[in-house]
Amino acid sequence: MSVNQYQQHVFVLPEDEANLQIANGFHLQVPLNRQRQMQVLPVARGWPRVLELFQSVHVSEMERNFRRSMVLLIDFDGKVERLTKAKAVIPGNLADRVFILGAFTTPEALRQANLGTYENIGLAMAKDCREETNIIWGHELLQHNSSELDRLREHVRPILFPSDAWARPD
Amino acid sequence: MRFEIEVQLKSKKYSYSIAFEFPEGFKELRVFEEKLTVDSKSVYSRKLAEVHLAKNGNQKDAQFPIDWHLVALPIVQQQSARDPSFVFKQWLARMLILRPMPSLIRGDSDRETLEPNPQVTDFGAWFAGLLADALSAYRKIDEYLKQVMPDLKDIKNRLVGTDSRSLVVQFSNDQGSVTIPFEDLSDGEKCFMICALVLAATDAYGPVLCFWDEPDNFLALSEVGHFVLALRTAFQAGGQFIATSHNPEAIRRFSGENTLILYRKSHLEPTIVRRLDDVQISGDLVDALIRGDVEP
Repeated sequence: MSVNQYQQHVFVLPEDEANLQIANGFHLQVPLNRQRQMQVLPVARGWPRVLELFQSVHVSEMERNFRRSMVLLIDFDGKVERLTKAKAVIPGNLADRVFILGAFTTPEALRQANLGTYENIGLAMAKDCREETNIIWGHELLQHNSSELDRLREHVRPILFPSDAWARPD
Repeated sequence: MRFEIEVQLKSKKYSYSIAFEFPEGFKELRVFEEKLTVDSKSVYSRKLAEVHLAKNGNQKDAQFPIDWHLVALPIVQQQSARDPSFVFKQWLARMLILRPMPSLIRGDSDRETLEPNPQVTDFGAWFAGLLADALSAYRKIDEYLKQVMPDLKDIKNRLVGTDSRSLVVQFSNDQGSVTIPFEDLSDGEKCFMICALVLAATDAYGPVLCFWDEPDNFLALSEVGHFVLALRTAFQAGGQFIATSHNPEAIRRFSGENTLILYRKSHLEPTIVRRLDDVQISGDLVDALIRGDVEP
């Protein structure tokens, strides 16, 4: 078994290597007894391919498994309208279980903004989610995610960061 | 040939170095120099056959000769368990260098140890030693194993002779229960057991350095990422985890700044080591590795 298919779980589909490393950093912050409820998938190689894979593979799998949620991790390349484009491929019956997040330009810009390595950026994102703060998510290159993030926090926090999870050191 | 190691233990920086030379006419290497320092203060230093022990408290400096083919570190006598040379040697001894061979791991033991051999064929002795050192380690072992094998009920280390013990593992669910001798677990399950002990060891007597040669071996593909991630998470609190791997799932669980690429052009040339971040890669790393396009 990988993720526990019989419990609520989250798949993360990263666009590229940088987004994969961010997702790895996030995963490292998830308490050990919840880590298996998150799975970071191999990189899709480009945001159009993320949407393509989502439609061709994950839509049917999500319809079969109502416990699965998905985070599509894409670069916005400075185009806010990409969120609308991406949302257009998500079937209405899955919309509340699919989340689209990403850097406003590219993850490289996050690194250049002195937010740390990709892994550390992911760690900080998870810490914000766990502690319900907005330190890194409030950064100008990430704040466009706010509406998706609110939904994500409400939905994913109880899965990955429940109050009864084992305490973990920072 | 020079080896250097630096480690921070209880806020003190331990530095050990040793250099060997091979003079003309010699049949084996001799130690050219050797040194152990703590926070830059010398504990002992050595040049060829002459060892110099630094002044310690009321004691004076001391010098003694040693065979120049012998390393001084294991010979230098420690005064107490707080002695820097003891602290450093114990840390070295408790390094976990793992290259498990599950088919050879039987779960029997007639002793206790905190220093398992690389093949972990003395798993039973390590299990017994760990619980003798810290009984609370069982909680950590149990917590991890129940994540990967939810039907695990218990691990028992039964007495099977006057001095011998043998591990058995009990599984149960609503259909009933079954007890399996440790040696009959699958290779992958034995690796989960080893992982559980590593996690418990970091808790019980860390910081530990764990070097695991191909931790992805014997595991189902869907388990590899979680296995590596559990180890990485445990070592975030202290110690160091180093893994070597050719497995895409294991490689993907690390990042550019903590991945090193090792490359050797031939058996006659030294291995080149480069940080992944410093290597130019086009596209996906795993694809580039498959193409053989990742050369430092």
